[in-house]
Amino acid sequence: MAAMNMNHEQFQDMMENGKTLLVDFWAPWCGYCRRIGPAFDKVAAQYGGDMAVAKVNIDDEPRLAEKEMIEVIPTLVLYRDGQALGSIVAPESKAMIDSFIQETLAK
Amino acid sequence: MKRIYDMVIIGGGPAGYTAALYAARAGLKAVVLEKLSAGGQMALSSQIDNYPGFEEGIDGFELAERMQRQAERFGAETELAEVTGVRLDRDVKEIGTSEGTFYGRTVVIATGANPRTLGLPGEEALVGQGVNYCAACDGMFYRDKTVVVVGGGNTAAADAMLLSRIAKKVILVHRRDTLRATKIYHEPLMNAPNVEFRWNSAVTELLRGGKLRGVKIRDVNTGAESEIDCDGLFVSIGRAPATALVGDQLNLDAAGYILADESTRTSLPGVYAVGDVRAKALRQVVTAVADGAMAVHAAEGYLAEHENRLW
Repeated sequence: MAAMNMNHEQFQDMMENGKTLLVDFWAPWCGYCRRIGPAFDKVAAQYGGDMAVAKVNIDDEPRLAEKEMIEVIPTLVLYRDGQALGSIVAPESKAMIDSFIQETLAK
Repeated sequence: MKRIYDMVIIGGGPAGYTAALYAARAGLKAVVLEKLSAGGQMALSSQIDNYPGFEEGIDGFELAERMQRQAERFGAETELAEVTGVRLDRDVKEIGTSEGTFYGRTVVIATGANPRTLGLPGEEALVGQGVNYCAACDGMFYRDKTVVVVGGGNTAAADAMLLSRIAKKVILVHRRDTLRATKIYHEPLMNAPNVEFRWNSAVTELLRGGKLRGVKIRDVNTGAESEIDCDGLFVSIGRAPATALVGDQLNLDAAGYILADESTRTSLPGVYAVGDVRAKALRQVVTAVADGAMAVHAAEGYLAEHENRLW
């Protein structure tokens, strides 16, 4: 299962539901964002039962990116109960995404 | 169940996936261990014009995905796994990873090279906060801003050119009094109206206020120090081989590259070094793929010779 692309309305719904949500803020022109793609899709398949895993294209959703204070991409943010629990910028490996998720949820 | 392969390939760049392609086509059970996605350094290059057969050029990420699919068509496997430790000095070699242990009768090191850092205090913490190593990746963040490029080789010159089309001002800081880059870069850079040069200078300090706000540079002849205000710094001072995992088990050259001749055989039997991580004269996609094929040729001979010991 590949991670779905999400707009600001869907993001808002997720926040209000209080669901656990992992978002990859990216843009089509960002080379490193593409490199993360296969690992992020694997993460979506692996964690899909426990949380929502989605992508936000900051070119399509500039106001959402600004509101979430995304200054660098790719940035992955983990949300729960409408709150950002933590973020990671340009992870170097799938293993790094895995440990970010586990450590952030354990906090 | 022990995951035993005829060939474990560490790294999914062009050398690694060519080894996987040749191995799979030779009937060997092969797996590529890749920590993120196919391509390595090539995946960050949006246009590759010197890989023959693509007359219009090809996007590096796409070329990487094609190489991966081609190897997988013949049965090669890919695991998104980060290697944490290796034991190469035995018949069946052990590769510890984030996804468990893999065993290989042969191992191909295709870990490539990474950008060199300046090694300045606070540099790591400022990555993504103004400090960058890839103009093609991060340049777009500096539209109409001021950036400093450090270095004088081809990468630095290409980065400065690219950034001059995006940023308001590009200041190139180089420790010599002229560019080391190939001549074709000199004239367009010298003629670019928004590119300035600080010759004979080295960056000595990163200035921050939250994010990077500037750099301190020192004149290498006079010792005089000055500050440059900038929004971003691009470090383009070459690459370092990714040999941290294997450095204590294989013979390396003085720069840290794995010593192996054209056969790609390293100092340990059944272990091969391919692509940018091998000590060689020319690091290109075409030389990387040649290494990948050579490694399988050498490994086939090794596996046949030691058949009774390895199975």
